[in-house]
Amino acid sequence: MKKLAIAAMSFCMVFLAACGSAGNNEAVNDKAANEGNKETATNAAQEETKPEEDAKPVKLRIYAQYADDDTKLPYDYAVAELKKEMPNVELELEVQAQDDGQKLKTYAATGNLPDIFQAGLDIITTFKKSGNILELDSYVDELGFKDKMFPSTMNTLVADDGHTYAFPYAGNEFVLLYYNKELFEQNNVKVPTTYDELMTAVTTFNAAGITPMSIFAKEKWPTVALFDMFVTRNEPQGILKLDKGQASVSDPAYKEAADKIIELVKAGMLPKGATNLNYDQAAALFHQGKAAMFLNGQWEIAESTKQLGDKAGWMYFPGKDAANYEASKYAFSGGGGPGGYAVNPDTKDKDLTAKVAAFLSLKYAEYKYTERANPLVSTKVDKAIVTEYPPMMKQLSDDIAKITSTTSFAWGLSDAKFKAAIEDASQSLMTGAYSAEQFIEDVSKAVPAAK
Amino acid sequence: MNKFLGNKTAILLFILPALLLYTVMVFYPIVQTFFRSMYEWDGLSEGTFIWFDNYTRLFQDSLFFTSLKNGLIFAVIITVTQIGIGSILAFAVADAKFKGRKILRISFFIPVVLSITVVCQLWLSIYNGEYGLINKIFEAIGLEYKQDWLTSSKSAIIAIAFVNAWQYMGYHFALLLAGVKSVPEQYMEAARIDGATKLQAILKINIPMMAETYKFCLVFAITGGLNAFANMYIMTSGGPGTSTYTLTYLMYRSAFRVGEFGYGSAAAAILVIECLIATLIINRLIARERISY
Amino acid sequence: MTWMMKLRKNNPSMQIFLWLYAILSVYPLVWMIFYSLKNNDEIFVTNPFGPPVHLRFENYVEAWSKYNVPSYFMNSLLVAVATVAGAILLAVMFSYAAARLRWRFSKIAHTYILVGMFIPIQVIMIPLAILVRDLNLANTYGALIIPYIAFNISFASMVFYGFFRSIPIEMEESACIDGASIYRTFFSIMLPIIKPALATMVIFIFLNSWNEFTMAVILITKESLKTLPLGLLFFQGQFTTDWGAMGAAMTIASLPTVLIYILFSEQVENALTVGSAVKG
Repeated sequence: MKKLAIAAMSFCMVFLAACGSAGNNEAVNDKAANEGNKETATNAAQEETKPEEDAKPVKLRIYAQYADDDTKLPYDYAVAELKKEMPNVELELEVQAQDDGQKLKTYAATGNLPDIFQAGLDIITTFKKSGNILELDSYVDELGFKDKMFPSTMNTLVADDGHTYAFPYAGNEFVLLYYNKELFEQNNVKVPTTYDELMTAVTTFNAAGITPMSIFAKEKWPTVALFDMFVTRNEPQGILKLDKGQASVSDPAYKEAADKIIELVKAGMLPKGATNLNYDQAAALFHQGKAAMFLNGQWEIAESTKQLGDKAGWMYFPGKDAANYEASKYAFSGGGGPGGYAVNPDTKDKDLTAKVAAFLSLKYAEYKYTERANPLVSTKVDKAIVTEYPPMMKQLSDDIAKITSTTSFAWGLSDAKFKAAIEDASQSLMTGAYSAEQFIEDVSKAVPAAK
Repeated sequence: MNKFLGNKTAILLFILPALLLYTVMVFYPIVQTFFRSMYEWDGLSEGTFIWFDNYTRLFQDSLFFTSLKNGLIFAVIITVTQIGIGSILAFAVADAKFKGRKILRISFFIPVVLSITVVCQLWLSIYNGEYGLINKIFEAIGLEYKQDWLTSSKSAIIAIAFVNAWQYMGYHFALLLAGVKSVPEQYMEAARIDGATKLQAILKINIPMMAETYKFCLVFAITGGLNAFANMYIMTSGGPGTSTYTLTYLMYRSAFRVGEFGYGSAAAAILVIECLIATLIINRLIARERISY
Repeated sequence: MTWMMKLRKNNPSMQIFLWLYAILSVYPLVWMIFYSLKNNDEIFVTNPFGPPVHLRFENYVEAWSKYNVPSYFMNSLLVAVATVAGAILLAVMFSYAAARLRWRFSKIAHTYILVGMFIPIQVIMIPLAILVRDLNLANTYGALIIPYIAFNISFASMVFYGFFRSIPIEMEESACIDGASIYRTFFSIMLPIIKPALATMVIFIFLNSWNEFTMAVILITKESLKTLPLGLLFFQGQFTTDWGAMGAAMTIASLPTVLIYILFSEQVENALTVGSAVKG
């Protein structure tokens, strides 16, 4: 029965798409009905297969990031493309608030969830339990979304439980340690390959009045990333292993990482008041040649190239010794996870909404790939690149095949309690007034039991 | 008189609208919070009733005690500075013959008019270790004393409390000014004729006459301090690490970052009880007889 | 109060303190306007405190183009005025009954209302949002006005209660003897006495409502009902924020309140004088 329905639906869709428009006989702008009458809405959605639709205009509410060029331009592009593809669909955008999902969760609690929303792992996990997110498996098959994915980015489409809850656009991204080649040369500092050389760099730069490494530790995730990079020298899975409950934070790999960070921070590796620097402040130190190194994701490549040109580069993270450096050279920090455009299960026309969500994801990724010099998207793009890759990005894309392991960004951790604890504790590490023992104690309370 | 002031219809007419609206929109959600504090609940799905387990956990959580302590520090700092300096400003500006009184009065209130985001951003810049004003001043006078105001786990909560104290000083200033103005002129005249100095008059007449004003200023400052959230949310996100958590911040983190809404509700319930106790203590301490005229 | 002046003449340090404090209080306003004309680099690194090097009016263009400023402004104004009217009326009536009238549970009722000050709004956001939906207030002005009134009742009642308690009982006694009804006594005798408090609370509640963000961001989804603080959402990204344009948005939102306050403070001044005249 279900299969038949799906077949009927896809038939409708193909048919209507051919006519250049698809739609729903009820405009979705009546929010009162959407909020108050969940059941009616669901029933209506189930009756969608009735072939009486005649491409009436449809309004869909969407909750998405829309603040800077990196989120605005791809979104605008995706919407413009949608207008060509499905002119009857109008999107009503609500700008995502930077509030740890408070707004979206309140929407879910009041039955006022937008038809499409950007969901990360945190939202997927919570909404899955409460039935506020549509399982998209059938649409993935129907729309052939899997064929559009890279084998390496399947993890962004399929969640741990084997289902799909959001159409992804972001691929697996990485943390990189950037450095200013000129500053290293001028001060006769060797680009560090071992911890000892890193320590030498820290002391030399400090003596020269240059901040060794800039980090925007007011946001907690970069501090987790730094910790994770040290961990990956011994344990390629990094914090991911703790998140899965397969390791203990008192294991040597983690303890050594904490010890090393404390030692370096005490030696003056970070700028004054690092835990209160935001991106603009920390990046300015690096871009203006006041800091020799800088920690950020690979998306920083564009900005650093713009500011520093050839002077900017990124290095492989130093190892414990030369052998460890070589062995863990391609153990990268960072990664990706399920996330992207998700669909409200109570939306009036599930098929249409899912189709729109999938379309937006593809176009969003396409723009990032062609115009924003970001090859790390989750889906294949068959269009030519408009913006040439800067050298640092070329180096990274050459390396991608060689990468032996990745971990996860803080926001990609699946255990919310562990995530909060490791964020707080890693930030504390940056103050230098926090012991490894304290770190272990605070984090181990939150490490989940093995699954 | 009793009949006059005990008019049942009038009483009901006066109190019912406020009580009804307040009960539905404010008190009912508070009751829900207490109720949900006995659930293991993520805020969305069905919860499990677990009696007082959240509270037991709370009392074993070192973060809870950090939050409790920070709330108290915050409350003490803002109460002392806001009411102390607020009183000085109010008494000084109360004099009708004071030149420039209007400009001063408007100026003192400006920080309150601005949004908390603006004020926090300003102080973030002032406190900043690399580019900040305070450290620049130290540098200018030749001191090599660079302090990590917001990034040392010891000083951060104090630094934040002063921002709040400074911004909302204007509220206390305005309330106390209205209080000073309500003290009938003839008392001050009488004091002056008796040869009292200004300070004596303020201490002996103004302040006792303003007991009710001080009472609500105290409740306002202390509960505001225990409740503190927005300042740390904008300035430190509870950091470095967890050193500027308050109970509200703990609740926010539990509910929205960790997805433990029940646990967060328990923290909130403790907060309400804490504020209630503080208010009752203030009322007990300033339980004066009404001055008869 | 001439002796106060004498004291001040003897005490120039007090004068200096007052004026320095005033400068310290006005600086953030100036700083905000500077800030709104800078870019991120100047704001955080090169020139955080001084006047902008280039006047970047494009920040205002940016802010103005991102959202419908006049519409947001009118909504803010409407919500604030309605909140002030509602909250003042309800609170002043309630606190008069609690402070002056004689009934059994007056003390308990007063404490009961106070509890509203103890709870941070984040805590009860979800139950409140559900309530707003169930009362069919979602996406109406009522979605903001009604909760705003309810949440301002606690603080306003506490202040009015304090002022009512300071009034001598003879006021009502003489009114009673003159044969005035309780309503007349309330409106024509008691309210004028607490005018200083009324004027002060009008400003407070207006500002509370004008600057409120937490509830507004969650309870209002319809574009045509949004209030000014919500404009800030357009500038805060996950990783970066356009601080200059955000400063412009904040200036657009705050300058009117500063002007309103300066105009209104004249009224407060009058109220304060009238208030003491009645009693003096």
